[in-house]
Amino acid sequence: MEYLAGTIILIALFVILASSYNLIIGYGGLNTVAHPIFFALGAYTSALLGIHAGLPMAVCILAGIAVAVLVSVLLAVTTLRISGDYLLIASLGFQLGLLQLINNMEFTGGPAGLSAVPNTFVGQGRGTIYVVICTLAAIAVVWAIWRTMNGPFGRAVRAMRDDELACAALGRGLISIKILIFAMGCGAAGLAGGLYAYYFQYISPEQFQVAQSAQILTMVVLGGIGTTMGPIVGALVLVALPQAINFLQLPNSLVGTVQGLIFTTLVILFLFLRPGGLVGHTGSQSSHGAAH
Amino acid sequence: MEPILRIDNLCKSFGGIVVADHIDLTISAGEILGLIGPNGAGKTSLFNLISGVVPQDAGKIQLQGRDIAGMSLHNRARAGVARTWQHMRLFRTMTVLENLMMGPRDYPGESLLGSVLGLGRVRRAETAAHAQAMGILERMGLAQTAETIVVDLPFGQQKLIGLARALMNDGRLLLLDEPMAGVEGSNYETMQRVVHDEAAAGRAVCVVEHNVGFIKDLCTTAVFMAQGKILQRGTVDELTRSRELTELYFGTAEDAA
Repeated sequence: MEYLAGTIILIALFVILASSYNLIIGYGGLNTVAHPIFFALGAYTSALLGIHAGLPMAVCILAGIAVAVLVSVLLAVTTLRISGDYLLIASLGFQLGLLQLINNMEFTGGPAGLSAVPNTFVGQGRGTIYVVICTLAAIAVVWAIWRTMNGPFGRAVRAMRDDELACAALGRGLISIKILIFAMGCGAAGLAGGLYAYYFQYISPEQFQVAQSAQILTMVVLGGIGTTMGPIVGALVLVALPQAINFLQLPNSLVGTVQGLIFTTLVILFLFLRPGGLVGHTGSQSSHGAAH
Repeated sequence: MEPILRIDNLCKSFGGIVVADHIDLTISAGEILGLIGPNGAGKTSLFNLISGVVPQDAGKIQLQGRDIAGMSLHNRARAGVARTWQHMRLFRTMTVLENLMMGPRDYPGESLLGSVLGLGRVRRAETAAHAQAMGILERMGLAQTAETIVVDLPFGQQKLIGLARALMNDGRLLLLDEPMAGVEGSNYETMQRVVHDEAAAGRAVCVVEHNVGFIKDLCTTAVFMAQGKILQRGTVDELTRSRELTELYFGTAEDAA
């Protein structure tokens, strides 16, 4: 049961990560690779507060979201004014630099990480409680993104992605739109981080490597970039598949190879056969929300 | 007539190329002013300077007495500068209606919180923008295209949608960059009628066109530009009769009659 709960929780957390990453790169067209570091900021902030300040779980997680949002706004304000390509480089530097800092600071536990995150729920039902919390959090994040992207704000975001100059010439402040979606997406990553820290009670820098961006991006692309359902499907497939492969009881030396083969084959197949992803449109009519 | 746009001593150069050379220009309410001149005269550059796409080097730009020269592109739109683009720049993944609903210059619905929570004033703004958009589309006979993805429309209708989107901005200045190029038949007549109606309703309209025939159909007065300078202002007939200007113009563009 605990194993199943763990899998469902991972899926829920990756739904949050993939949906929020999709908000930033899919809807917003902002190319960043720094998503894992905001996941880490949420995780470390709530873990540290939980360990040292003994605050309630909800307060710690909210603080984690706040820190992720605050830092994302700082990064956005300094880089978004320049240009899209600049953000990619800046976000890479930010991701690597901040993780290196976490890796070398004493209060973050260095490479060993933090392993004494308080256990909020004890006993048989712990897994189930976290399944409920994480699933509700995922639903809330997906709902908020769906709602935003299908309303007037989302229309402005899609207009900006289609043509920045025309959008600005209609009176829309692009910088504020970009900062808002960046903050919203990074805040959601912070939420996933807080939940991750509290459920697994152990976090270390290697769980938030830049390579995780590629994993989350694969979920987004596989499911369907710029769609609501895409990241959900993508997260489901990419978390469940490795677990399914584990059930095949392959020799340990083979598991990694088989996983790698399957993932790369999937990505290549999708690029050729369904560039819009599992739920995306394949024709010329690209995604557009119904705004009424 | 009430002056809407007033430009004094506007200057701009890119490196050694002068696109605006001490330009003075006033456009009044109800006026449809044509900008004519050879390629590279600085007509579109003047639009870009007025709307704030590029900053000027020197000079004053006043909109209804308010200095807008220091404002950013989006703040000038909010101040009341509406423009179209030579290559339309429509939002290609969006429907006609969604394109138009990006047009209102001040729009509370586009705040993130208001959008998520669906606040009352956001819903009212949506309803008002929707009604305004449908009204403009009906005037153009394009109401049935509202839910069509904009790039699936024929070229002439896309040009009209470009104008319709600009008209969602209820400011007093309207800049049209080659609105007639490639537009034929009933779409041409619609374009002409709507532009005339907007001027009659009190907008100051400025039009860049290469084709002098279009300018004659559309404009009340015109200015002739060359090398970033305004050489002469007058009626379209006066300008086309001037031998000096015709030589400047037809010397570079044979098909402009």
